[in-house]
Amino acid sequence: MDRVNFRTQVLTRHLQTQIPTTDHLHTAPCLNYSPPELTEPSPNFDTKSLRKLLDGQNIEDIDYIFNLMIQSNLFCPRERGGKVFIAPDFNQSMEQQREMTMRRIDYLREKGAFDGWFEKKGYEGDLWRFALAESVSVFDHSLGIKLGVHFFLWGGAIRFMGTKRHHDKWYKPTETYEVKGCFAMTELGHGSNVRGIETITRYDASTGEFIINTPCESAQKYWIGGAANHATHTVVFSQLEINGVNQGVHAFIAQIRDGNGNICPNIRIADCGHKIGLNGVDNGRIWFDNLRIPRENLLNSVADVTPDGQYLSAIKDPDQRFAAFLAPLTSGRVTIAASAMNTTKVGLAIAIRYSLSRRAFSVRPNEPEVLLLDYPSHQRRLLPLLAKTYALSFASNHLKMIYVNRTPESIKTVHVVSSALKAVLTWHCMRTLQECREACGGQGLKTENHVGHLKSEYDVQLTFEGDNNVLMQQISKALLAEFLAAKKRNKPIKGLGLEHLNKPAPVIPTQLTSSTLRTSQFQTDIFRLRERDLLHRFVTEVSQRQAQGESKEHIFTVAYQIAEDLGRAFSDRLILQTYLDVEATVQAGALKSILGLMRSMYTTIVLEEDASFLRYGYLSTDNAAVVRKEVLKLCTELRPHALSLVSSFGIPDAFLAPIAFNWVDANAWSSV
Amino acid sequence: MAPTNQVLIKESSNVRTLILNRPKQLNALSLEMVSRLLEVFHAYEEDPNVKLIIMKGEGRAFCAGGDVASVVNDISKGSWKVGADFFSKEFTLNYLMATYTKPQVSFLRGIVMGGGAGVSIHGRFRVVTDNTVFAMPETALGLFPDVGASYYLSRLPGFFGEYVGLTGARLDGAEMLACGLATHFVPLEKLSLLEDALCKANTGDPTIISNIINEFSNKNPKFKEKSQYFRLKTIDRCFSRRTVEEIISALQKEADKNMDDWISWTIESLKKASPTSLKISLRSIREGRLEGVGQCLIREYRMVCTVMRGEVSRDFFEGCRALLLDKDKNPKWKPSKLEFVSKDMVDRYFAALDDKEWEDLKLPARSNLPSYAISKL
Repeated sequence: MDRVNFRTQVLTRHLQTQIPTTDHLHTAPCLNYSPPELTEPSPNFDTKSLRKLLDGQNIEDIDYIFNLMIQSNLFCPRERGGKVFIAPDFNQSMEQQREMTMRRIDYLREKGAFDGWFEKKGYEGDLWRFALAESVSVFDHSLGIKLGVHFFLWGGAIRFMGTKRHHDKWYKPTETYEVKGCFAMTELGHGSNVRGIETITRYDASTGEFIINTPCESAQKYWIGGAANHATHTVVFSQLEINGVNQGVHAFIAQIRDGNGNICPNIRIADCGHKIGLNGVDNGRIWFDNLRIPRENLLNSVADVTPDGQYLSAIKDPDQRFAAFLAPLTSGRVTIAASAMNTTKVGLAIAIRYSLSRRAFSVRPNEPEVLLLDYPSHQRRLLPLLAKTYALSFASNHLKMIYVNRTPESIKTVHVVSSALKAVLTWHCMRTLQECREACGGQGLKTENHVGHLKSEYDVQLTFEGDNNVLMQQISKALLAEFLAAKKRNKPIKGLGLEHLNKPAPVIPTQLTSSTLRTSQFQTDIFRLRERDLLHRFVTEVSQRQAQGESKEHIFTVAYQIAEDLGRAFSDRLILQTYLDVEATVQAGALKSILGLMRSMYTTIVLEEDASFLRYGYLSTDNAAVVRKEVLKLCTELRPHALSLVSSFGIPDAFLAPIAFNWVDANAWSSV
Repeated sequence: MAPTNQVLIKESSNVRTLILNRPKQLNALSLEMVSRLLEVFHAYEEDPNVKLIIMKGEGRAFCAGGDVASVVNDISKGSWKVGADFFSKEFTLNYLMATYTKPQVSFLRGIVMGGGAGVSIHGRFRVVTDNTVFAMPETALGLFPDVGASYYLSRLPGFFGEYVGLTGARLDGAEMLACGLATHFVPLEKLSLLEDALCKANTGDPTIISNIINEFSNKNPKFKEKSQYFRLKTIDRCFSRRTVEEIISALQKEADKNMDDWISWTIESLKKASPTSLKISLRSIREGRLEGVGQCLIREYRMVCTVMRGEVSRDFFEGCRALLLDKDKNPKWKPSKLEFVSKDMVDRYFAALDDKEWEDLKLPARSNLPSYAISKL
């Protein structure tokens, strides 16, 4: 209709040119919103099947939580442009936002959303818990984190670090929120370096109690989610000193508030104050003034103290003990990675839908203005991020699966993969949100349009549960250790997808073409070549420095450049591999083709953007030029699928924003 | 097609009044009526002489639903695909109404059920009155709330839609207005005056139309003493549960605390309904809440075709036998219990049919796609 009207007006103007007129400046006809559904080609693949590849078997669990949130006024529904959207009211004060988060949790609990939290067993139980945590985060990061602290951190510590006596006592009241838990690990002076925390706990055999103490200001517990307002109990991480010997970090249960919300004796709590985002979570600081707790409150899955004060542990090596102790808490990283992907999907769905309805500048006079996403530059900004989001979402699912199927033997893999993906996925999330914010222009600045505001809500994900840079360096350390261990045993390297190192180095064609770039063979080869070469370089650098007498610790600090490049190389190769695995499950047809196209976009954009390919010579400058050209071609080919691809994300309209739909009506005077 | 007397059309300058005219069958929608309405709605959209459409029923009912008895009869004589044709036309009509560019005012006198709701609720203005009785009774019949009900029921406050859709509860005019199924309540004696006023105004401007109806409206019709609308909190508490089984056990817990007629009726109606119907209806409403009206209808079409094909369950035929044909009111559902209806069975209603000749519902391209009609997935 728009077009017809427009043509009529243009024709009328043509006919009128015979009449002399002094009016040379015509005002353009008023802009109408035209939904992308009407103008874009309909999907040539089954969008539901694609969503199934993203959300797997938990679609119904996820949609159920979406249903609960959409139907309650607690989630602040508001009508804009003929549609109802839900989002927290960020104009509320910090204290109000915190209360709303708690009320939303109460609502979900009343509806039975958490029923069976601790009973549901096996990998299905794990996947259900993840689905729940991720879907509430689509509404609000604070809600997801507040819930995650209580169930995954506090509840997870009870489950994994505790034993039957803790399970019997704490599961039920945790599920019903009679007990509100928090997790006191980080201190003012120690974050990533958990083993350096300064809180100290001693045992008093005469009363059978532990005494927890905050010896100095830097030992105050910091950023403890839930501590400032609501939590009644906490898991405390502390050095355990028995008979003058420090046994390393252990975890204890301590009550910090009574049933009426009053802070307990020997506990001091202060607020962390207003933050750049996530103000719906009440982060607090805790000091322990020789707090006495019963001996049974030690979470004793790997070590215990007898009533008479003997320290017992099946694992003698304190390093291994610490690793075994913390391993199950990886679930935090799994949900962070998955939530990062959901947030990325929200941002992209909004920005791409907007770019399919907003126009700017005409190419020729009297022609309609050009749709934002018809500009090659706009495609280049958004479409590679779209393809990458699919690749990283599949990787996030892979992480989930190795976590839920974990065995004692796979702990290392889970640790390395979760470190890598937590870092890569959260960085991708922040970068995408920034691009989406800019791609939406001024509209991106409005809180109600999400893309801008989400940046501050999600910035914390780069830091919590392991600083991304620290995590990336840990990957390289782990890879080095694997490599050296295999060499020492004189056996082929196994695990972490490193088996390709046992084969001869892949050969990259000297002259790349468009079709080569799109073969999975080439893509796999060049990603493997880069990982392999960087690992060898890292091994060489470390051993050379060791030969010169430098300590391992010192070497890792100074060799960080190559360590980070290697961490990236490992992650990208892993992501490609999981992508190919997903693709292999799909039958030939339209869906498989679009997956192939997005894979090529993913690999090509990595080749274009990561300097290491040129830096270390995996790509010649000529080939880098071929890669760059290919990106543009891929953008053109992905362009017609843009709408279908963001629709397949399965984020309900209510969680998107007014600019994703009729933004003219949403801003009309009648809606003021 | 040949003119039919099953739909009468009154013309008054730019207003067209469509009268459903099968009073003996309580205006149940026949294939003939649905086809005629579809034709007329298509034609009026293009016709600049038409500005406003009024829908009403002849006799004491607005419309008691689709004529499922004759659909079942046709299926028994031929293939289930005869039924598919009926539903495809009916759902297309529902979609047309939901995305229509011209206002439709429906006068909901007497019974409005199933398909009757489908030809009115999607329109712009729904006028209810003193004797309006609304229900989506499909689960008792081995069917599920169709005609786009997964769209409009899911958008009622809280979990009232689940309650109405699963139990087949009857709503009166006041309750319909309160929950949003109706836009206006006009006392019975003023209905014909309102109709005259609308014809006289001869306008398609929704604001003016709304103002005119408002003049005749009762803004706060009183709830009857034992209105279920006073039970919203309990309804929310129970019908928000994840599964039908959990909904029933939540209701039973409420009954243990405080048994009354309404609770026992609610539990009873769920126990009498087809277990398969209950499960697919709940999932349909939950999915519908996240979809646009077009997607809802496409999905419901898959579901209704699976129902008619009768491979997973033949409850629809059994329900029609027991309630409409033999009238023994004693349907023998199969599977007979909720626990026998597996997830795989439910899944089949939501998947495309594995039949070469079958196709997903193809909705007509619309020039007008209001924001609320935009579908995801």
